[in-house]
Amino acid sequence: MKDHLIQLYRARPKTNFVRLSLLVMALLISYTWIGGGFLSSNNSIIQRTENLERFVGELKPYELRGESFNIYSYLSWAKTMMAEKGWQAAETTLAISVAAIVLGGILGNLLAIPASRNFASNFNRDHLNLSALLLAGPARLLLIFLRTIPEYVWAFLLLSLIGPNAWPLVLALALHNAGIIGKLSAEVIENLPDQPQVSLHSTGASRLQIMLTAVLPAALARLLLFFFYRWETCVREATILGMLGIVSLGFWIQDARARNFYDEMIFFILLGALIVVIGDVISTLVRTHIRRIF
Amino acid sequence: MNRASSGQRRMVIITLAIAGVWAANALKLNPIDLVTNNTSIIYDFFSRALSPAMDYESDVPLGTKPLIVKTLSAAWQTILFAAAAMGISLIGGVLFGFLASSSLMIESARGTVKYITVTLYGLVRFLMALIRSIHELLWAVLFLVAFGISELSAVIALALPCTGILAKIFSELIDETSRSAAHAIRGGGGTPIQVYFFVLLPQTIPDLLAYSFYRFECLLRSSAVLGFFGYPTLGFYIAASFENLFYGEVWCYLYTLFLLVAIVDIWSNQIRAELKL
Repeated sequence: MKDHLIQLYRARPKTNFVRLSLLVMALLISYTWIGGGFLSSNNSIIQRTENLERFVGELKPYELRGESFNIYSYLSWAKTMMAEKGWQAAETTLAISVAAIVLGGILGNLLAIPASRNFASNFNRDHLNLSALLLAGPARLLLIFLRTIPEYVWAFLLLSLIGPNAWPLVLALALHNAGIIGKLSAEVIENLPDQPQVSLHSTGASRLQIMLTAVLPAALARLLLFFFYRWETCVREATILGMLGIVSLGFWIQDARARNFYDEMIFFILLGALIVVIGDVISTLVRTHIRRIF
Repeated sequence: MNRASSGQRRMVIITLAIAGVWAANALKLNPIDLVTNNTSIIYDFFSRALSPAMDYESDVPLGTKPLIVKTLSAAWQTILFAAAAMGISLIGGVLFGFLASSSLMIESARGTVKYITVTLYGLVRFLMALIRSIHELLWAVLFLVAFGISELSAVIALALPCTGILAKIFSELIDETSRSAAHAIRGGGGTPIQVYFFVLLPQTIPDLLAYSFYRFECLLRSSAVLGFFGYPTLGFYIAASFENLFYGEVWCYLYTLFLLVAIVDIWSNQIRAELKL
């Protein structure tokens, strides 16, 4: 019995690459906590506690301080906040995420076409030719570059380059997500069953015709799933991009912080969380629907 | 696929187009605003993409570290923040993933214990949804006002949403694993804790691992962005150089960030490929 177990244990699947990666990761994490200096601090504990106490004390809405707790007065305070800035900010945040994902989806899928190696090699399976290398290589490099630069960095750079309107935020989200959607879509296109493509190719169809008649209909469902999955993250990112100075949720958070109105700040942060949760629910519902109809 | 579903498919696309038009309208997005009078700055910036700076673009005091050394140390700091956050969120993710798994907390419990586990399950689920709905930068801002600037709170700000996401993914992984082995051990008298550690956990480890490496990539990006809030990661230097109009230096930092994330991206892809076996 014991021998069998040992045999079974020895025969378990294992790869040295994964073991090495785990070791590197474990060493890195332990190093950061032992030698990274994250646990040492330059502020004293007392100062920190005072800071925290002041912060927590100011979380209570300014108008309601000194009153005893009453849920109705809190609700009416929240209602005024929503009427003053909340609805407008929520709408802008949502609009930024929608505009960005539509733009990013279009751009990403356009880039995914040259980036998928089967399209680039003219649906000629088995051998990768020069055109595949020249087309798919640069397209993939561009996609990687787009997605490695964070949205916030894109937004920061574009804001000064384009000027203070909603474009920088939309473009920043769109560029980053185009990189991700492009990669995912290219993988979907490459992993489709290739019989339809090959038979169309043998009857003399052009690349574009194969793309439109064999690839797109078969891939559409998965592309839409990715689209909505990325929209969720877009909503999440859109809540903060306003911090750079364009009026949306993040702007009011930054504004409240600058004026030390911590009650307003926490209100907008929680409003952001609520928007993200609503986005998640909508996206989950739509994705279930798409899985059902396709 | 039939005619009805192709009609519904069209509906999805049309709805998307309408949503896009609504958004563009709500934001007053006008293509003309893209081509502003800033064209010369745009040209200056993007033309430096082909010639990133290899040295400082201004006079620096004698004895300043060379730009390359500064860039590498910023990259190293970026890695440190991300790795420290990864450590916390891995532990938190596994722990809360267990507590947020419906198959264990709801299905395996019996009797009075069940009241406790179901309450705990609901509580943990809510908590995880809350911490991952608040963006890491918002956590950073919150901690900044609550505690003042401190590297530990930056790490925790990065780790919180990541923990929420890992816990969600991990609980879903546990719930979706095949239950046959678990039933066998339970039938043989194993406790839910034993089943968790010796049956379910080993089965989900490859997927958890592959996903964690992807999360590390996301943490690296977020860690770089934290620099905009004054921490010594790549974002700090990007902001400083950009504001001084040293576009060559900006591209140097951008390409470093690109290399950093791309390497982890390739690394995690390789791990995913190896783990599929």
